[in-house]
Formats: sequence, C-alpha cells, structure tokens
Amino acid sequence: MSPLMPSLPFDLEAARAHLAAARGPVFWRSLEELADNAGFVHWLRQQQPQLAQALSLDRRGFLQFMAASLALAGLSACGHPPQDQIVPYVQAPEGQIDGLPRFFATTLMREGYARGVLVENRMGRPTKIEGNPLHPASLGATDIFAQAAVLQLWDPDRSQTLMNRGVTSTWDAFAAAVVQATERHARDGGARLRILTGAITSPTLSAQLGAVLEKFPGATWHVHEPLGNANAHAGARLALGVPLATRLRLDRAKTILSLDADFLSDPAAGVRYARDYAATRAPESNQGTPSRLYVVESTPSLTGGMADHRLALEAARIERFARLLARELGINLEVSGAEDAQHQRWLNAVLTELKANRGASLIVVGASQPAWVHALGHLLNDALGNVGTTIEYTDPVERNAAQAGTLSELVGAMQAGRVDTLWILDPNPVYDAPASLRFDEGLTHVPHVIHLGLYRDETGMRAEWHLPMAHQLESWSDARAYDGTASIAQPLIAPLYDGRSAAEVLAMVLGQTPQGRVLVRKQWQDQLPDESSWNAALQQGLIPNTSLPPRTAMVSTAFLTQIKPPPPAAAALELLFRADPTIGDGSWANNGWLQELPKPMTQLTWDNAALVSPALAAQHQLNNGDVIELRLAERVVQAPVWIMPGQAARSVTLHLGYGRRQAGRIGDGRGVDAYRLRTPANPWVESGLQIRRTGARAELASTQHHFNLEGRDLLRVGTWEEYRSNPHFATATDPYPGTPPSLYANRPPGEYAWGMSIDLNACIGCKACTIACQSENNIPVVGKDQVQRGREMHWIRVDRYYEGDAANPRAYSQPVPCMMCEHAPCEVVCPVEATVHDAEGLNLQVYNRCVGTRFCSNNCPYKVRRFNFLQYADDTTDTLKAQRNPEVSVRRRGVMEKCTYCIQRIQTAHIEADKQDRRIRDGEVLTACQAACPTQAIRFGDLSDAGSAVAQAKASKRDYVMLGELNTRPRTSYLARLRNPNPLLGEDPT
Amino acid sequence: MQLGVLAAVLLIAVLVFVWRAAMAYPAGEQEALEQPVPFSHKHHVGDDGIDCRYCHSSVESSAFAGIPPLSTCMTCHSQLYTDQTVLAPLLTAYRSGVAFHWQRLHKLPDFVYFNHSIHIAKGVGCVSCHGQVDEMPLTARVAPLTMQWCLACHRNPAPQLRPADQVFNLHWHPDPSAATGPQLLQVYHIDMQRLTDCSICHR
Repeated sequence: MSPLMPSLPFDLEAARAHLAAARGPVFWRSLEELADNAGFVHWLRQQQPQLAQALSLDRRGFLQFMAASLALAGLSACGHPPQDQIVPYVQAPEGQIDGLPRFFATTLMREGYARGVLVENRMGRPTKIEGNPLHPASLGATDIFAQAAVLQLWDPDRSQTLMNRGVTSTWDAFAAAVVQATERHARDGGARLRILTGAITSPTLSAQLGAVLEKFPGATWHVHEPLGNANAHAGARLALGVPLATRLRLDRAKTILSLDADFLSDPAAGVRYARDYAATRAPESNQGTPSRLYVVESTPSLTGGMADHRLALEAARIERFARLLARELGINLEVSGAEDAQHQRWLNAVLTELKANRGASLIVVGASQPAWVHALGHLLNDALGNVGTTIEYTDPVERNAAQAGTLSELVGAMQAGRVDTLWILDPNPVYDAPASLRFDEGLTHVPHVIHLGLYRDETGMRAEWHLPMAHQLESWSDARAYDGTASIAQPLIAPLYDGRSAAEVLAMVLGQTPQGRVLVRKQWQDQLPDESSWNAALQQGLIPNTSLPPRTAMVSTAFLTQIKPPPPAAAALELLFRADPTIGDGSWANNGWLQELPKPMTQLTWDNAALVSPALAAQHQLNNGDVIELRLAERVVQAPVWIMPGQAARSVTLHLGYGRRQAGRIGDGRGVDAYRLRTPANPWVESGLQIRRTGARAELASTQHHFNLEGRDLLRVGTWEEYRSNPHFATATDPYPGTPPSLYANRPPGEYAWGMSIDLNACIGCKACTIACQSENNIPVVGKDQVQRGREMHWIRVDRYYEGDAANPRAYSQPVPCMMCEHAPCEVVCPVEATVHDAEGLNLQVYNRCVGTRFCSNNCPYKVRRFNFLQYADDTTDTLKAQRNPEVSVRRRGVMEKCTYCIQRIQTAHIEADKQDRRIRDGEVLTACQAACPTQAIRFGDLSDAGSAVAQAKASKRDYVMLGELNTRPRTSYLARLRNPNPLLGEDPT
Repeated sequence: MQLGVLAAVLLIAVLVFVWRAAMAYPAGEQEALEQPVPFSHKHHVGDDGIDCRYCHSSVESSAFAGIPPLSTCMTCHSQLYTDQTVLAPLLTAYRSGVAFHWQRLHKLPDFVYFNHSIHIAKGVGCVSCHGQVDEMPLTARVAPLTMQWCLACHRNPAPQLRPADQVFNLHWHPDPSAATGPQLLQVYHIDMQRLTDCSICHR
C-alpha cells in the first residue's frame, strides 16, 4: 500500500448511517470523510505530515557538513554578480512607453469558435490574457483554456522547425514540394487530394479552402473534431431541415431542463452562458423569481453541480426520460421499461413547471445525446413556445460540415489507395481518431502526408512533411463566435519558430504569397473598406454588425417516424466518453497549468481515471486507485478507478485527452488513452462494458483533502424560501455573532480599505480564477509527485463540497484566496516579520525577508499559504521566463507565498491615481481572479467607499465570513449560496 | 543534536557572508564604468542644456525612466561629430540595426519595484538620487541604493521635495528661510502612513 494513496475501503452503509445520524447541513469533500471511517483522521495525518523530522547530525556528519560550508565560504571570494547590461532600441516601437504594458484585442479559437480577448503585451511579450468586454462570447471574462493559451505560446516543446521525413527542412524546400504536389493534382483535378481540418468558422480560412476546392474540383475536404457537435448538427437537420445553429437565451429562461447538456462548459459559449445564467439567480438585482435548473445527466458536470434538482441517469435511461417527457407533452413515442415512481414524480414536477412557464422555459440537449434527442428537443421547445424567446435559431456559424467528408470516409479512401496527398491542417487524428478506425494504418497507404501543427505530435511524427504552425497569438486570422460575431485575430508577437497559419499554408497551394495579414485584410475588404474601419475592428476586437440575426424555422415532425423503438433495458454497464475538463480533447496535454488544475468535480490532477458510482464500487469492491480493465468487445484498456459521487449507477466515465505519446515533456505518457475504446458510430457512449479488477494499483493525485479544515462550518447554503423568510440565515449559525472584542489594537484606517466578496451563489466552480491567478502571479507548476504531497501552489483554490447521499449529492464550489485578516494569525508568529500588514489592510508577504519557518502557514486557519519546498519556479527555460509577469517577484525555494489581492495591480492603479492627485476609482483595480470570472462572482475594491461594488456586495444579508468566531476579521467574505428547489420535490436532490 | 545546531549556526553565518557578497554592486559608488560610447552627461546636460526627458522620455509615465533608442542620438549625431572615432560604435549600430549594450549603473534587486514616475510626480528631483550628472563627464552612481538609504527618505521625505517645476532642475536649492518641504508634503498629498509599508516597494 502506498502511503500517499487513499486505500480505505469505502463503506457505503457506514456513510449512509453517518448521514442519517447527522443534524443540519452536512458537507463533505470525499467519500472517506463521509464514511467517517476511524482510520480517516489517522490516514489524513499521515498524508499531510505537519512536522518535518528534526535536524540530527553525528560527529562525522558534522565534519562533512562543515567542509561543505567552508567550500561555500570560498565562493564569496569569487566577487560580484555579473554586470547587468541595458540594450537600447535602435528604433523604438511605435506607441510603446518602456515599462508599461499594452493591451491588444484579438481572438482565440476553441474548437473553431471565437472568444474575444485582450492580451497584455509587455515590451513585445504577450504575458497575460483577459476577456474582451465588448465581445459577446466573453463579456470581459475568460475560461481556463483562454488563460492557458499564453503558456501554450511559450511552451518550449512546441514544434520549432519543418521536418521532411524526419530531417529538418525549410519553407523554401516545402514550397518546391507544394509545386510538385499541385502539378500532380492538376493532372487529375485533385481527385487524389484530401484536406483534413477541424471545425472552421474563420471566413478567411473558409474562403481559402473554397478556393483550393475550386482549383481542384475532385478534391475532398474532411472534418475531424473529436469533441465536435455532430449530433446537434444532425439533430437540427432532422427537425429543422437545415443545420441551423442554436443559441440559448438563458437570461430569459425561468425553467431550464438539461438533458446531459453541460452548457456552462460549452466550448464556444460557456463563458457567456454562465454569465446569463448567473444573472437570473442574483437575489440582490433580481427581485422576481429566480430561474430553476433541472439537470438529467450520467456523469457529474459543472452544470449538474449548479442544478436545483439533479437526476443521475445512465445514458440509455436519459433517452427513455426524453421519450417520457415527449409523451407527456403530447408526442406519441414508444416507451419501454418499468415505471420508476421517483423518476415519475420528478418528471411530473418538471412538466408542470415547463408548461407553466411557456415561452420562458428551455430544454437543452447535450452534445453526447443522439441526433434524434436533439431533434426532439427542438420539437419540445417549439411546443412550449420557447423558440424565439429562450432559444434562437441562426444560420450556421461553421463552414458547412455537411459538404465535408467524415473521418471514416477518409480512412476508407486511404485504405483503398485513393489518396495521394493528405493535408492535415491542425488535427491530430493518429492520436485522437477512434482507434477502431485504424487511422494510423490507413496513413501507410498515403504517399504524401503533410501535417501542420503546433507540436510535432503523433500525427506529425507520421507525416512526410511536418510544418510548425504559428500560434494563435503569432498569426493573423479571423473567426466567428457562437452567435456569428466575426472578429480578427492579430499577432501579438512575430512567430517564435518560423511557423505559419493554416490560411497561409493554403495560400501556398493557391500560389499566393503566404502573408496572413494580406489574406485577412482582403477577406474583409468589403465590410471594412478603409483603414479607419479596419483599425477600429482590430481595436475593438470584433467586426460590428456581424452577429447573425435570429431566424424562424419550421419544426418538422417527420423525423418522429424514423425514431427506432427503444432498445430493451440493458443491465450491462455503459462507458461514457467525455472531454477532459482541463485538457479537452488532449491538445492541451502539454500545458502544465491545465494538467495541475484540479479537475472541477473530481479534484484530480495530472491523470484521468475511470469514474464509477459508489454503488458500482461497492458491488465490485473497488477503491480509489484500483486499476480495472475496461473491455468493450475486443477493445481493452486498463485504468485506475475514481469513485465519483453523483455518477449514474451503471455508467463508467473515461475522459478523453490522456495517454498522449508525443505531446511533449509535460503530457507524454500520462493517464489512459480513452480513444482506444472509442468508435466512430458511438462516440459518446458505448454499452456492453465489462470491468474486471486487475489487482494492480495506481497513484492518483487528487487535491480534495488538501487544506482540509476539519469539518468547520465554512460553507453556508440556504434556499430561496429560507432567504425570503430569514435573509440573515447565513450568519444565524455563527457561534459569536457580530464582531467580538479583540486584545489587539485596531490599526488606524488607511486611505483605502481593500476587501473582496465572493458570491457562492454565482460561482459555478469552473476554476478560471485559479488559472488566471497562476498566469498573473508567476505561480509555478509543481508536478504530480508534489501535488500528492499536498504542495500545489495555487493561491486561490476552489474547494468542492458535497451534501447529501453519495449516490446523488448536491455539489458546491467555494473559491478560497487569502482572507486578508485584519487580525492576521500568520503575522504574530513570523520571527522575521516577513508577513506584515500595510496601511490599507493588506496582509503582505515579503519574500526577501522570508526565511521559510512555515510558522505562518501552520497558524493560518484558512490554509491559504503556499511554501516553495523545492525550486519550483523554472529559472532555466528561456521561453517560460518570457511569459512571466515582470511586476511580480519570482519566488525561490524556501519562501512562503500567498494571494496578495494582486498587489501589483493595486500599486499600479495607486501610482496612476496619486500622480493625477485623485482617488482610485471603483473598478479601476480588477484582481486577476475577478477579471477572469465568467459569472462575476468575485468583487474587489475599497471597503471605505460605501458606494463601491464590493461594499455593496458585503452589505448583502447573505454576507458571512469564514470562521468569524476566531475574530481574525477577514477582509474576504462570502455571499451564501441559494438553492431554488421545487416545493413539489422538496429538499430531495433527485 | 547539539552539533547539528552548531553546524546550522555556522552555516547561516557563512551564508550571510556569501549573500552579502552576491548582493553587492559590481561597480562601486563614484566609479564610472567603461561604456561602448563614452557618453558625457556633462556635455549634453551641462554644456548643451538638454532636458533629462529628451532622452529619458518615459520617466514621467512609467516605472522605467527609459534608455533612449539610438534614433534619438541620431537626431543630432546624424549631422554632428559624425567623423569622431568615439561615435563610431553608435553609427555602426544604427546602420546595422544591432544596438550596442550599455553597462548598467543603477540596478535594484529583482524583488524591488522602484517607480520613477511617482517620484517625479511627487517632487523628488533627479539630482536627489542621480547627483549632479551635468558635471559628470562619465556617469557614475552616487547613491548606495540600499534599503536603508531608500528608507531614510521614505521616513522623512520633506527635505527631498521640491516644487513640481524644479524637479528636473539640477541646480535648484530650497530657500533655507522657507519651510518648503513640509508645505510640499501637504501640496502633494503624500500619505506618510504608507511610505514605509513593505508593499510600497516589494510585491
């Protein structure tokens, strides 16, 4: 047994007994804690040793030590540090003031869709990404992927040169090869030419591709997007006749039913949807009734975590649920299987409310659902009068994938020897194609494979030509957002490694000059005829009036006849394939920030695991970390188990994106490759799964126990009913209400009093704050081994709590930065005054004073201090140094660090205000976490200004502080979470 | 165990010496360094009367005062003294587009965040830290730039304050009869409570 792994047998019965015996709300973080196994406390202590072994030396050791010390002393004679030099510009860049950052609007794409961002550029180096407030998919916020894009840019493992059959080459040599290829294709009209891309919304790339297909009419374009929305497109074609895009208007919805739809994590619009959703739930600004969210899902998601009522159903039973729902709404569909009284009660409650809120209800169908359920969703939304209000149809945003071939068709052509040249522009099918397609085998029949990619990945290694792709922050491009809004991507830096964009590479095929700016400028010549409109579009980060207007659509019922009768209810297990919450389809696998970010529901880092329900684990006697064999027909994979509260009983989830072989130093060989079990026919769920214990164990690094606060009352949750009858419910349980007297003298008030308010009712637990903080504050990545020891360095962690039965608990998220206590326990124990207060109420950490006693961390009741046990900050890799924020010290080994409320941003604003002899305006200082938050859950500002946003938030009756009884008087406070359960269903989550 | 403690104490003593040596300046005070071009502040400021901000253009807006791009030098030196050998590195660098490297005189540790612009805005003259550069044929550092030296002024800034229009005047002296400094503290709204906070320089 490994000392680092939880290996207590989980006792479901003990857990239930524990819950039944408890009074009042009981929050728990993990199943071990819930079971209250006697070994838990002991095991946790072992995991988190608080006392290092005392220093002890024998005589021999002492002499050795002294010899080393004397040798070290000799070093001091070696003289001074190296002389620094200053290199002047020959010509200064236009508009740059040395030392000041500049922000440029640009566009980042995720799965083809645009998200507008502002990129901080420091003396030519992109260092930080913020949302673009003007862009509809951002509204100023970002998700974890946008934040991590800047680390991807500076990743030292990116492809740095062209490779021709494994030998370095040049663009000129490649240009000659392109000429030969085009000559070959000219002969047969491109019949043996294939182009493989991801989803395309870029008008420029689409036009380039169109021109290539026109030049070679026989050529075929194929689309491969491992996490694509093909089912939704097919469903739209079934119900609407045309593959229209669907746009949710969550801000208008009163009742939302999600059928396995994790819309809060939507790659294209999740950030916007989160904002819209949170706005319907804000009690202070929303005097009417809050929205109510029902979620039916198989595996826990962010959206499920926000649900007022959640039903954990296997994928097959979700289909059945959809049929029942349709039948109740007057659509005649065959439903098989026995009635379940509990589900029927749930369904009735949902139905009543959906009908009562006609035009303000919304049924959302998830990407993993089959096309006919999507079509059914359109039909039901139409029947409920929601089309045009809570759901809008627009013309498709993507280049029409219906005209494109699929990956399966491509493999068929490859195996038949009908492909001479295959251009792979960005996808990595050798890794992320379903293994049953045998794409890699097909490649051996293609004489010429040309791969353009950020990394020389699995596909790049197999290609005749590998071309380094310019990063999104290095190249000109354009893209459309979820609502069609077009925006231009402008480079923030010249390509680090001589890369080119996909549009530039296609320009080579067309015989054009591969200059991205020229291509993009030409594309927008009509809409942006003059330089001033072009510059305005660049500056704002979007092209005005390009969002697609809502259009009407006739919902056809013809597809109903084609729905197959329901399959007989299978007792077998099913395997679900889902995007990894932090590394997506695997293309982010080499990103240390994302790998180390605890995955929102599991709190796992650095790995994926087979997520099983507590019931299934009990049945098979599985513990966290037990390696099981997952078998689907002849396809077999071994994966460690993670017991997932809220997982549907007969569903096992395996996240895609791990098991990379050529990702880079960070991503190689981590986790389990789920693509090996995937088939093109059933990309999201496969039934007939067989599992078998192997007896082996694997070490997983989960942070769910780290910084455990010993069951204290940290999280306050109530219902809207409770809030209306007793608005102060959040502080009702405080053992010592109000502010107790203190032995410490109060400090004189400063010019400002900085404080923060975190609204747990808005927080969806996406962790964009954690990554934004990591990016802003030069926080190092420590690696899996160190995470296992509880040494992750995140300054703002997001704790995840459960409440209720492990089979389907309610989930809550709580971001925890430094509390900035006015009477800070850390300060009084520091022997060197390395942590002290400043006049404006900030609890400072002075790195150059810190000697690393760690007393402060031990005395911190909130466990928000992080210690550099080793030299975590990489001070050898040049590109990583270039990413760092020069306004923040890079901490060395042996130094304590913690959240500073982004003091560098406060100081910058302070200096600007002081220079102009004015006060800092409210909202002038945004902390990194606050700026990134999609739901604006975090507010920061001056508490001494009663009109400031943070002071108003703290004036809310939901306001409470963590561990107020300790009289630490934290400056960070929380707003209690409010649930809105349906009275018909009561408190029962299901 | 006792030996262990003794070893630890000795190690710390040794480390302190190593650290002090490592933190020291490469060049001492009043000691000019050899530069690629023997630039004379005396000539440019003292003789020609060029304002500090002509070259150090970001001193009022940024933390960094700014080292002029070579194109700034060339506003005059494309015409003047073009045949002087001492200027050859400048002309070569400008034509080739590859700048030479100045030897840095004023360097603070990486954990110190000094900001020029706020000191200028609050009436601290250039001369307070940089000395009479208009009398330096070759520029040298005149202040120790230690924390103690910084704090001396942050604890009692009044003597170093001057009216806003005299900040760049290297020859301004306060009228001994007038209480200029304390008055200016009020005028500039300097928050003395904050001036010695760690956060004012360290982050």
